[in-house]
Amino acid sequence: MPVDNARTRDALLGFADAMDARDVADAAPAPGPELHLLTFALDREEFGIPVTQVREVIRVSEITRVPQAPSHVRGVANLRGRILAVVELRSRLGLPPAELTARARVVVVEVRGRVLGLLVDAVSQVTKVPQASVVPAPEEVLSGDSDYVTGVARWQSRLIILLDLEKALAPTE
Amino acid sequence: MPHSFLVIDDSKLHHQMYRLIFSRGELAASTLYFATNGREGYGLLAAHPELTLVLLDLNMPEMNGLEVLERRRAEGLHPHVPIVLVTTEGTTDDEARGRRAGAWEYLRKPFQPADVERLIHRALAEAAGAS
Amino acid sequence: MGGNENPFGDLLQDYVLECLPLAEQVADTFVELERRWRADDPADAVIASLAGRLHTIKGNSAMMGLAPMREVAHALEDACGLLGQRPDRRNDAAAALLVTGGGLLADLVRNASPELDPAAADRYVERVRQWLASDAAPAADSQPERRQADRRAGGGAAGAEKAASVVRVDFRRLDAMLEVLGEGLIQHSALAEAYREVARRGGGSDEMDRLDQAVIALQKTLKRLESTLMETRLLPIATVFGRFPRMVRDTAEAVGKRVRLVQAGGETPLDKAVLDRLSEPLVHLVTNAIVHAFEPAEARRRAGKPEEGTMRLEAAPQAGRVVIRVSDDGRGLDERAIRKKAEALGPEGRSDESIPLRNLIFLPGLSTADRVSTLAGRGVGLDVVAGAIHALGGTIDVETAVGQGTAFTLSLPVTLAIVRSLIVEIDQERYALPLAHVAETVRAEPDAIREINHRGVAQWRGDLIHVADGGAVLGTGQSRSTPRRFYVVMAAGGKRRGLLVDRLVGHQDVVVKGLDPELGRPDVVSGTTILGDGRVACILDAVRILEGGRRAG
Repeated sequence: MPVDNARTRDALLGFADAMDARDVADAAPAPGPELHLLTFALDREEFGIPVTQVREVIRVSEITRVPQAPSHVRGVANLRGRILAVVELRSRLGLPPAELTARARVVVVEVRGRVLGLLVDAVSQVTKVPQASVVPAPEEVLSGDSDYVTGVARWQSRLIILLDLEKALAPTE
Repeated sequence: MPHSFLVIDDSKLHHQMYRLIFSRGELAASTLYFATNGREGYGLLAAHPELTLVLLDLNMPEMNGLEVLERRRAEGLHPHVPIVLVTTEGTTDDEARGRRAGAWEYLRKPFQPADVERLIHRALAEAAGAS
Repeated sequence: MGGNENPFGDLLQDYVLECLPLAEQVADTFVELERRWRADDPADAVIASLAGRLHTIKGNSAMMGLAPMREVAHALEDACGLLGQRPDRRNDAAAALLVTGGGLLADLVRNASPELDPAAADRYVERVRQWLASDAAPAADSQPERRQADRRAGGGAAGAEKAASVVRVDFRRLDAMLEVLGEGLIQHSALAEAYREVARRGGGSDEMDRLDQAVIALQKTLKRLESTLMETRLLPIATVFGRFPRMVRDTAEAVGKRVRLVQAGGETPLDKAVLDRLSEPLVHLVTNAIVHAFEPAEARRRAGKPEEGTMRLEAAPQAGRVVIRVSDDGRGLDERAIRKKAEALGPEGRSDESIPLRNLIFLPGLSTADRVSTLAGRGVGLDVVAGAIHALGGTIDVETAVGQGTAFTLSLPVTLAIVRSLIVEIDQERYALPLAHVAETVRAEPDAIREINHRGVAQWRGDLIHVADGGAVLGTGQSRSTPRRFYVVMAAGGKRRGLLVDRLVGHQDVVVKGLDPELGRPDVVSGTTILGDGRVACILDAVRILEGGRRAG
């Protein structure tokens, strides 16, 4: 059963807008521990996951639809001989479906011992952000089933929404 | 006339060859027994005193043709059953030794079906003459 | 060769079946002998073990009228006979002579035919004659004695024991048995279905309970039979590994390198169907490594490595699969060079740091065998190797360290679940329909399908059958402007139903792969497979599709 994603989405976007308004200027790299993130885009937002969960990034072209699969599953793909299920992260995060562009990618992740593909609009380079730049997510986002956001990193005029993949990919039914 | 033959040879290919030979003409009605080693063959020989002829390969692992013959002589098993020692070219010593151990005849590879048939006819003639 | 046809000509296959394994063992033993002699091990027992096999090959070849094989086997017998008595003649030259002869004999047997050109055999026999004559031969009469003693010692007790308890079965017969069993399983499904029907209508009773038990028991038995039969198809991977000692030696020599092969896990069992398809990709991997991975001797010495390169071929079972590792201690893969080349391939191969090496390396055009040499087998790239492994239902991965070496890890299923299927296309997606459930494919003529009670109906072989839209059944179709061109008549347990599709692609043996748990339990999909072009296709469950019709109406 999909959660009330519309509310979550609004809360998330509202929070991001509010952060934008405070406009943090570029600063020299802050000292201290860093998070290594792979960041990707969905709609206008940028999301980040620990790079340790990422196995690789592949192109989208060969996803086969699976009839009667759950709605959040886009299909399956051939990953060097292994059948990879590709999940539509958009629907899980409450974002409307959209056309795929040439920049779309599948991020192959390993979570809880399972290997899955995440369909995203675009992938950026691996980014290192200081732990200190992470701000906790707002209350509305953390409540209920939307607890897959662990925080937001404000870094070099970017706002990266940090995802807890385990929670984001947990079965919703 | 119903005859029975025993083939003792570790080569399955040779079993096939013998089957082919014994499928033609008057031999077609024969009963065939097959063994893949000397020990097995000796057991089959013991069980079938009515055998018309035995074709015994010389070169087999564990218990070769010569050893089968020697054991038969030592135990006096079915001395009337003619045993043909099948040898490969270049083993004249083995043939002599085989005869001394009680082989009735030897057959050198490569042989033709006709060679086997000839031996069988001789064996039958001798058996008829003897009785 | 005159009109003298060999009376045993029909037994050529049996000849190869019996003599080829022997010849290959002999050839491998010669390679082993060479290594031992180089390590100053006289290896008397090894020489003695050859006599029986060579003798058998000689005798069999003679019987079949195959003179070249007989001559070569005889020459090898003579050579081994001399070497058995004369340890002083065991040297590189002698070893090379034997290895050549072993390979030649195996090739001759493998390609056995009465019309074989004797030239190569004649040349070799002459070489051996000269080698034998190039030394004062020992007393002539002691040789036969020696050979006889060798014969008695040779063969091995274990071999005879095994031979007595082993039956040789033509592999095709096993396949036929499995096919019949497959039919049995389908019939069982029909039986179970019929039972359920009767149970639905008639309710319970003692007889019904007994019938139920019987149906369940039958399936258990059939399944047990299936797994037993599948086990008979299991062969040790050594049957494929067996050719490598010689191959590694020959290839290394041809490119002027020294490579030794270390093998492990030869006893690991694999289905013959997997083994048959594994051989070629393994050969490519090993050849590529020998040709490209190993540095020349001086470079290795400078790097502090032993001059002789080590190639490892290791197999081990692992949780229902078999893992094979092909590794070398060569120069490793130059990651930077590969990424540069990937960039050159265009935006597709962007050397994004996040794309790991193992993904790039298998792209077409990017294999390490980019220099075409005759030995690297027509420039076969790693993408071809990967494709072959994938088609098997296996996976392939690579680890490498510059200067240290490279390791390819293959993971293969122990057995192949293969289903002969009809590939069809519905709404630009391809699907596999198991042929066992396909009765016929029919071109959908414009008026052939009428609508009765909102369901499509057509005449087929004198019966009226329901015909459903493929897109509707799968839940993938949008409304279509152009009608679908064919329908496939599917059949199971006495039921028939047509399924409308856009295109008939063809027949194919597909390797069945499981369903990822993330996919839930789709009703009409029983599995997935990877088609020849690398795309994934869903395998449809015919029984479910046929049932679906009833549920809907």
